[in-house]
Amino acid sequence: MKKKINFKEGLIYGIIGVATLFTIGILVFILGFIFSKGLPHLDSHFLTSQFDSTSAYVDVKLSEGTENPLGLILGEMTLKEKGSIEKQVIVVKDIEKTSLAESAVNNKGQNLAISKNDIINRIEGENVEGKSVDEVNQILNSINADKVTLRITKQGGGIFPMLMTTLMMIGLALLFSVPIGVLAAIYLVEYAKPGRFVNLVRFATESLAGIPSIIYGLFGMILFVMTLNFGYSLLAGALTLSIILLPVIIRQTEESLKAVPDSYREASFGLGANKIYTISRVIIPTAMPGIVVAIILSIGRIVGESAALLLTAGTAAKIPSSLFESGSTLTVKAYTLAKEEANIELASAIGSVIIIIILILNALSKLLSRKITKI
Amino acid sequence: MGKDMKLDRKNELKEKLAHYLFLFNATVAIISVAAIAFFVFYRGLQPFIPGNAEGTYSLIDFLTGLEWRPGEGKFGILYMIVGSLLATTGAIVLGVPIGILTAVFIAELAPKWIRTVIKPAVELLAGIPSVIYGLFGLGIIVPAIMQLSSQPQGQSLLAVILVLMIMILPTVITITESAIKAVPDSYREGSLGLGATKLYTVFRVVLPAAKSGILAGVVLGIGRAIGETMAVMLVAGNPIAGLPTSIFSPVRPLTTNIAMEMSYAFGLHQEMLFATGVVLFTFIIIINLILNRITRGSELK
Amino acid sequence: MVNKFSIKNLDMYYGDFQALINVNMEILDKEITALIGPSGCGKSTFLRTLNRMNDLIEGVRVEGEILLDGENIYKDIDVTKLRTRIGMVFQKPNPFPMSVYDNVAYGPRAHGIKKKAELDEIVEKSLRRAAIWDEVKDRIKKNALSLSGGQQQRICIARALAVDPEVLLMDEPTSALDPISTLKVEDLAEELKKDITIIIVTHNMQQAARISDKTAFFLNGELIEFDETDIIFSVPKDKRTEDYITGRFG
Repeated sequence: MKKKINFKEGLIYGIIGVATLFTIGILVFILGFIFSKGLPHLDSHFLTSQFDSTSAYVDVKLSEGTENPLGLILGEMTLKEKGSIEKQVIVVKDIEKTSLAESAVNNKGQNLAISKNDIINRIEGENVEGKSVDEVNQILNSINADKVTLRITKQGGGIFPMLMTTLMMIGLALLFSVPIGVLAAIYLVEYAKPGRFVNLVRFATESLAGIPSIIYGLFGMILFVMTLNFGYSLLAGALTLSIILLPVIIRQTEESLKAVPDSYREASFGLGANKIYTISRVIIPTAMPGIVVAIILSIGRIVGESAALLLTAGTAAKIPSSLFESGSTLTVKAYTLAKEEANIELASAIGSVIIIIILILNALSKLLSRKITKI
Repeated sequence: MGKDMKLDRKNELKEKLAHYLFLFNATVAIISVAAIAFFVFYRGLQPFIPGNAEGTYSLIDFLTGLEWRPGEGKFGILYMIVGSLLATTGAIVLGVPIGILTAVFIAELAPKWIRTVIKPAVELLAGIPSVIYGLFGLGIIVPAIMQLSSQPQGQSLLAVILVLMIMILPTVITITESAIKAVPDSYREGSLGLGATKLYTVFRVVLPAAKSGILAGVVLGIGRAIGETMAVMLVAGNPIAGLPTSIFSPVRPLTTNIAMEMSYAFGLHQEMLFATGVVLFTFIIIINLILNRITRGSELK
Repeated sequence: MVNKFSIKNLDMYYGDFQALINVNMEILDKEITALIGPSGCGKSTFLRTLNRMNDLIEGVRVEGEILLDGENIYKDIDVTKLRTRIGMVFQKPNPFPMSVYDNVAYGPRAHGIKKKAELDEIVEKSLRRAAIWDEVKDRIKKNALSLSGGQQQRICIARALAVDPEVLLMDEPTSALDPISTLKVEDLAEELKKDITIIIVTHNMQQAARISDKTAFFLNGELIEFDETDIIFSVPKDKRTEDYITGRFG
């Protein structure tokens, strides 16, 4: 009675194994590709800088009695311009403690600190592009005043605006969709009697879940951007997102409300508590971990969304200063970089950030779900 | 003795208000679906109605045209419909068997420790945004196809099919796995008890019993494939005319047509993009209705 | 002795199914009344009509009268106020997933008591009345679910007592407990009877015999016999009662 696997069975086992390995292999391959292209770009400059470079004239006071009155340690750097023209520029390598560079002011009198990696274009009106560090230091040493005027360029290439826009989008979209989704789920579980209305709501949530992002984008564009005249904006994007999130939040919250034992409801009603009190003091607190999972899933969806936002929030690579301004999230920016600038490296760098966020969110929801099953 | 039990009107009113508040929020989902359908169809059908302010266009020419040249006023989408359908079909043909077999492995064959590794991996695959798949397609699949193909570019129907195949995997796997899990153990015991092998049991008893669930997974996969935009846009090539003649031909699925030109389109051009949305939405509605049938049918059983 | 409950011609339906058939009963104040009968005989259903817990179930219809101190509880009354007068303890201990203190303070808080000192006093008093104060006074902030089943059930009794009910309905309160915990709950019921009316559903005939003053025997939704417990267990008038208590069916 020895266990024998015949040839045909062995073949099928083999095919199943190959299919599984393919699935896992693809995942590993994708992660490997994105990380290998993207991770080398990830540093604090990448995460904290503006995307576009900005230039300004600043006045810096010179400190007295020090060897280096400006207090800037300079270096040379080669900069690639558009059309693959290269030019050599002077860049701030480090700043000495005695330096007053931090309290530099622009021509409007506002503070604009010089920081590491800033490029110095002009000193007292003189163009220093192409000059060596020694030449520039000579120019600086020859200055005989208590302050010096520099034209500096803050280097871009960072994703700080997209990070902030993504956070704003998350906050705003959740602000709309979480209350609606949670209250709707409470209605379905705690109030509604089975029947046509519940079926209709269920049909609606299922339909919403089946509509692709691009259709949401179209809808958001027609209603929020054009008809309500919000323009490509944070608000139009967030409102569109909040509808996309509804089915996720309603379903997940419904599940966690259904998991609250009926004996809790009976006990509360048996003590003469009314329905609102029972819902707010017993049912929601007990279902809370599940609701938090719903929120985490929603955040993942927002971070990953692109098509709907492309048509509603636009692609501006800056932090929106009001609800009615355009702003691009990390994912939308990764797309425009790949599509319009064919910059796969930078797109993958943003992709790495997105994947890391998704990994963290997945781990969090796993942790919480484990907590839920323990109850 | 005998505390008063009179009705508290204020309290009753509060409860009623709360009830209506909850009820109102539950209707938001219904209102949203209705609003989406209304606005997309309303705006998208304008160009076909005589007397439209931005100009009109023949519905027949729109649905049967093989050229999309907004500058010349040509808006034909038949080649896009064909592209979308071919890409979706290809992705389903390749992706569904892989997905089902992976689900069989996870649900029936894998030892527990392997399952604890694979399941999060599949979940991660589902959570990766489309743009990342597009980047992967653009960075790996497109250059690879360029090596094989006689065409000057790697962006092609094949690239779209491969990217979509990967993207539908998590959907097919997750749904199939839960359908397999839902098959009662007594079925397996019955078959194994008759001396059937494990594989025989899986393919002859378990999978047929999970049929409607698997079918639902396939239909969901179709929905995901036909609606996918960003990943596809990066690898499709998006030509302005012509039916695809081979798997190496570039294609322009309906979704990418909308997303690519929307930011700068205006007037009739913009309305024709909305009209493209109507065609896509119609496909999606048909798929959802089929899905609804399948899931309702299995619930009745 | 005065009547606490007068039940007159009570019929109850779940949709088409009639669960209680023409029940008539007078329940006296400050007595323990036991409801016995085989599973599905309607005793638990009957208990739940007394504080209108059946209202929560879809399609329930009640006909006839239930008078509490002469007032019909199925007329226009505030159900939440009714339930503060009539506490309930369930088959399985069902403390909320919160601290012992918050469990006991739940009812008073639901009815608007917010002052800490007042709540402290109510919690201690209720836990003492439920004879569990000494066991939990040091872990009153601990989660109630960390206690043993018997302790949990007495926490639930304390929770019910905290709203100062006149009647306590107990639905097989000891069926999920070990013998020692069961005994503690029984002692507690006898102690509580000094102040309040207790109606207890039980499967355990010894329990009914041990603690109750009156016993009612239900069968197929009908009240077959209702009398002094001594009489029911020694000289029942109805053949079916006799069959049941001697263990010939059920």
